[in-house]
Amino acid sequence: MTAALAAFGRHVARALVQVVPVLFGISLLVFLVVHFIPGDPAVIAAGLESSPEVVERIRTELGLDLPLHQQFWRFLSGAVQGDLGESIRTGRPVAQEIVERFPHTFRIALGGTLLAALLGLLVGVTAAIHHNRLWDNLIMVLTLVAVSTPSYWLALMLMLLFSLELRLLPSIGVGTPLHYVLPILTLGMQSAGLIARMTRSTMLEVLRQEYIRTARAKGLVEVVVVYKHALRNTLIPIVSLIGLRFGGLLAGTVLVESVFAIPGMGRMIVEAVLNRDFPLLQGSVLVVATVFVLTNLLVDLVYAIVDPRLRTA
Amino acid sequence: MSATSSGAGLRHGVLAVLVVGVLGASLGCGGAPAPEARDTLVFAAPADATVLDPHNTTDSQSDQVVLMLFDTLITFDQEMNIVPDLAERWKVAEDQVTWTFHLREGVTFHDGARFDAEAVRANFARVLDPEQNHKRLPLFEMIDHVEVIDDYTVNIVTAYPFGAFEPTMAHVSAAILSPAAAATHGGEFGRSAEATSGTGPYRVVRWTKDFEIVLERFDDYWGEAPPVKRVEYRPIPEAASRVIALEAGDVDVITHIPPTDLARLEEEAAIDVHKVVSIGAQQFRFNHARPPFDDPRVIQAISYAIDRRAIVENLMPGLVEVSTGALTPIMRGYAELGEISQDQGRARALLAEAGYPDGFSTTISTTPRYLMGVELAEVMAAQLGEVGIEVDINVLDWGSMVAFWEGLLPENNPQEIFIMGAGASTADADWGLRPIFQTHPTNENNYGYYSNAEFDRVIQEAMRETDPDARQELYRRAQEIVYLEDPGAVWLYDNYFILGARSGVVDITLSPLGVVTFERAAFRE
Repeated sequence: MTAALAAFGRHVARALVQVVPVLFGISLLVFLVVHFIPGDPAVIAAGLESSPEVVERIRTELGLDLPLHQQFWRFLSGAVQGDLGESIRTGRPVAQEIVERFPHTFRIALGGTLLAALLGLLVGVTAAIHHNRLWDNLIMVLTLVAVSTPSYWLALMLMLLFSLELRLLPSIGVGTPLHYVLPILTLGMQSAGLIARMTRSTMLEVLRQEYIRTARAKGLVEVVVVYKHALRNTLIPIVSLIGLRFGGLLAGTVLVESVFAIPGMGRMIVEAVLNRDFPLLQGSVLVVATVFVLTNLLVDLVYAIVDPRLRTA
Repeated sequence: MSATSSGAGLRHGVLAVLVVGVLGASLGCGGAPAPEARDTLVFAAPADATVLDPHNTTDSQSDQVVLMLFDTLITFDQEMNIVPDLAERWKVAEDQVTWTFHLREGVTFHDGARFDAEAVRANFARVLDPEQNHKRLPLFEMIDHVEVIDDYTVNIVTAYPFGAFEPTMAHVSAAILSPAAAATHGGEFGRSAEATSGTGPYRVVRWTKDFEIVLERFDDYWGEAPPVKRVEYRPIPEAASRVIALEAGDVDVITHIPPTDLARLEEEAAIDVHKVVSIGAQQFRFNHARPPFDDPRVIQAISYAIDRRAIVENLMPGLVEVSTGALTPIMRGYAELGEISQDQGRARALLAEAGYPDGFSTTISTTPRYLMGVELAEVMAAQLGEVGIEVDINVLDWGSMVAFWEGLLPENNPQEIFIMGAGASTADADWGLRPIFQTHPTNENNYGYYSNAEFDRVIQEAMRETDPDARQELYRRAQEIVYLEDPGAVWLYDNYFILGARSGVVDITLSPLGVVTFERAAFRE
């Protein structure tokens, strides 16, 4: 057991070390991409009625007149000390902007993922045990609808129904838990559909295995067979899908944030691109990428809990 | 086996409780009860303010909040007449360069400091100091110096007689901020609620970026107290959401209503739609340094090839009026020169005269940042195709678009025809024509290198003319040149500034400058 734990510890340490070059690579890539898209942040910041002298002084202030490698070094050496620079548009520290924005995005991404996981698993298992019967067919159609519904459209439809017609939920903003219901529903639906379909097919495969037949032959109740024996073995691919979806949702909240006027990371990143706000863009992408990488690491650890064989591997 | 299994079950259970708990806790925080509804007006614009420093604001979302927080010496009323604000009266001396302002007494800034002549001097010193690099410096370059005469009298002296002095002093960027607060906060002034201080009817109490700006009535305001206690600004970037939020009553007022929703909202009993002709016009401009656009006949031909009525009726019904001159009718110095109607025969004849009987190929650059920016280019392309001009469309984001307008030399500028929204923020012909069409070696403001010797002479003369009638005559001549004889652009339409409000909200101030303020707004049950 101790040996297994040590091996597990080494596994975690190795994974953590691998994170460093990944993040460096991402930083470099983001830096290069933002500096090579056309458009000058100083010009955008100065506004159209300004003069070239004003633009030039802004450029110097922002350090945009330095050679690229010096700018990258400034960014990198700041970043390792937790200093991500200052936003060009707002003049505030990037780290502070992220600290204010990230919780909103994290809440809707986590809420969306949990909703998707719970709903997806429940519906997927239900479909699998009613294979080729009415429930299964109905669920397959509904999940297909969920997967193929554009989230922009879904968001507006939910708003029309729950905010305008029924007056049950606020249409926009944040502040109370009720404000998060529609964004989480919008964000979670597509993933719920995906997870349900994946659960169903994996479950069907597992249900055909010898050991399930054995369990049934032993006279175990069907609920125990399905939820204890079959579901555990179904979970590994599902867990990795859920992990990936969380990363995807975290990085993909921009539409939902725009429609529901949530001051989150997604909107901030899009604004940063449009304004060529290099420091803000680099900082936010780095943070989202870090969370994405850490989530994958967490998924690895959850594997180990779900499947003890992987702990020693 | 059984022990392990229940242990794993426990772990899962704990994990689930933990995750749900974290989510619940994190959702729960910040859930403050809403303040009493009728005391608070909620306004939704498409974007947040950028900065609340009058000397640095260059966008209308910031301008309209700044106007609630700060006052100018003189200001525009809703008909764009110039009326007293922090100055009770003012006059220009015989020399036409010395402007004397007699200031209002008993005015305090939000930070408690006293407003006086020294504050006025300090403000213009601040905006004109190149070291501090305020974005609105170019607007005030005509000011030579400011003299304090006594506590409540100040002279602003211009370097030369400047015809647009009054509208420039009524500009939002001529607003007076607290010099004490400016000294304390330096470059941070106007970037947070704490670092903002003016003399206006409201003060900022909270600013959460891209979420809300909360203003509260300033109890020591010198003028009439505003009826509404709190005004909240909530940026909603998505147009459809903005409309739903208004209809659902989650917000009281919105701007930037999409054309597809306008007619429906006008029909709704619970919603009032208000409109005012604005300073904004939509144009397409040309790179006059590149053939064939160096020949005025080609631009006239393009102008005649376009059916503006069809564009307005099909793309922007109810949102705009066909242009009738180089400025919009609300602007000082506007001369009505009439709509330009489609005349394909004349367009073809002009092309032939210019040496392009079979037309030519060109590119229109556009950006979706302008309402219907892409659709406008598509319609233009189709209409130009009918007279033999073959058009490619190049769609760019705003950042890429302005990269072509940053003071390039003609040889570095590949743009040919490009979309342009014009709207001089002083609402005056000088700022609306001079920087845009006066000859300049690079395209820092004259984006298309327009150059006409007579126009240059007239526009310089007009700038220094302070007699209103003589000024008007000079600007009429300048507009005849740039609109008809040697066109500097194709003018399509003048924009209305439009807002939608819950029908219980009255007396909203809607300015042709494209900004909305609420100092007189009230709720009527």
